[in-house]
Amino acid sequence: MAYHNQYRPPQYNNAPPDQGFLWNIFQRVDKDRSGSISDSELQQALSNGTWTPFNPVTVRSIISMFDRDNKGGVNFNEFAGVWKYITDWQNIFRTYDRDNSGFIDKNELKQALTGFGEQCYRLSDQFYGTLIEKFDRQRKGQVAFDDFIQCCIVLQRLTDVFRRYDTDQDGWIQVSYEQYLSMVFNVV
Amino acid sequence: MAFLQSALNFMGRLNTPKLRHRGILTEMSFRYGQSYPAPGNYPTQHPPPGGQAPPGAPYGGGMPPGGAYGQYRGSAPPGYAPYGGAAPPGGQYAGGPAPGAPHGAYGPPGSGGHFGGGGGAPGAPYGGAAPPGANFGGQAPGAPYGGYGQPQGGPYGQQAPAGNIPPGVNPEAFQWFQSVDSDHSGSISMKELKQALVNSNSTAFTDETCLMMMNMFDKTRSGRMDLFGFSALWSFLQQWRNMFQQFDRDRSGSISGNELHQALGQMGYNLSPQFTESLVRQFSGRGVPGAMQLDRFIQVCTQLQSMTQAFREKDTGMTGSVRMSYEDFLTSAILRLV
Repeated sequence: MAYHNQYRPPQYNNAPPDQGFLWNIFQRVDKDRSGSISDSELQQALSNGTWTPFNPVTVRSIISMFDRDNKGGVNFNEFAGVWKYITDWQNIFRTYDRDNSGFIDKNELKQALTGFGEQCYRLSDQFYGTLIEKFDRQRKGQVAFDDFIQCCIVLQRLTDVFRRYDTDQDGWIQVSYEQYLSMVFNVV
Repeated sequence: MAFLQSALNFMGRLNTPKLRHRGILTEMSFRYGQSYPAPGNYPTQHPPPGGQAPPGAPYGGGMPPGGAYGQYRGSAPPGYAPYGGAAPPGGQYAGGPAPGAPHGAYGPPGSGGHFGGGGGAPGAPYGGAAPPGANFGGQAPGAPYGGYGQPQGGPYGQQAPAGNIPPGVNPEAFQWFQSVDSDHSGSISMKELKQALVNSNSTAFTDETCLMMMNMFDKTRSGRMDLFGFSALWSFLQQWRNMFQQFDRDRSGSISGNELHQALGQMGYNLSPQFTESLVRQFSGRGVPGAMQLDRFIQVCTQLQSMTQAFREKDTGMTGSVRMSYEDFLTSAILRLV
């Protein structure tokens, strides 16, 4: 049984965006012209499709994913990765947000999370309910784009660490107290 | 001296109002004083409130100091306990030299105009001298914050810039709220929070710690903290700072692996030295291996408590080992972590 495709966005076969195009965007986002995009600069540049500010936790997660030397922001080279990451998720999100409401509900979330992997562990409906409850910042019973990304990031990290302990790949682990703590601390 | 030692210095370097309006950032640091309170009044030398590990339990994990945070976290339904009730249980702080009293030098005299007091007595009302904490400690032993709900009470009330302090809000937190909220929006953003919190080595609190605290005290889940949340955060930070100072036995301003091991042991956790060492490694500051700053200490202890609770729920037989499915694991972590 294979694990889920780690909750990473599928790679689209889009031509990589032209450097000039990206540079243009980078400069507009890098408001203080520091050569590095900070959390707040990225947050201001992103829209979750509703009139609320983009989830700062998501912004932090994305930046830390691409900020290689832990400087608190992303430079132009790293920004290319950020851009691709976000647009890949956007493609997924749009596919499942059929009515273009800017939100996806529990069933759509389930489809979105299972749809692009190969095979995955079966997760119960109840679990998807938990996800919605936990990640739905706007309390609509559905998740917006930014919260959807955050949800996927967390699932990806947890799945990666689970897999390390599930050596026989049967979907079950036996762990001691300290092992459990290490697993979860590694996700923090 | 005892007052000085226990004082938590909130050094404020506040810009003049004129500059503030021009958007110059206000910088406020929560710093410690040079000296530490004498060890010995560490709360959980008494049984940790409500959280003793059962005899023979393979792991410990008492309640955290103060216990206040349990009300804000975990799978508790939204709309957690009222913030006003964040007084730590137990009488552990009573009688001490107003531990946790956040007074102390309030920054350079003359810049204190922000507090509405106009620097009438620069530095004097709070710094060093019998801190106003005496009021609180005195009138509510065992519940140091008990007296805080009274509007206009005590020396702070008269200086409160905006008049009425809502019930349940710590008056000092109320006043700091005004300066931390540098754009006067009425709530505190991540950016504002991060600017306000500083470790003893002058580094800002990490984003992760700030986010964790925002998640804990932002009950609207808007990414911003209102006055009530800030007041609860205030108490939370003071409790952890006191703990940190007591466990920093060599007074280095940071916690070593050995110190963390002792600290967690006293809190009731049964963890190997190797494990605590690995925590310090993972969470020590940039460039300073083996030294954990206050922000990371708060983060680690808070999460440790939450995860221990999650594990304990699974380990019904108290064997110290659990078998869990993929979904069990995801659920336990997601409910606890996010």
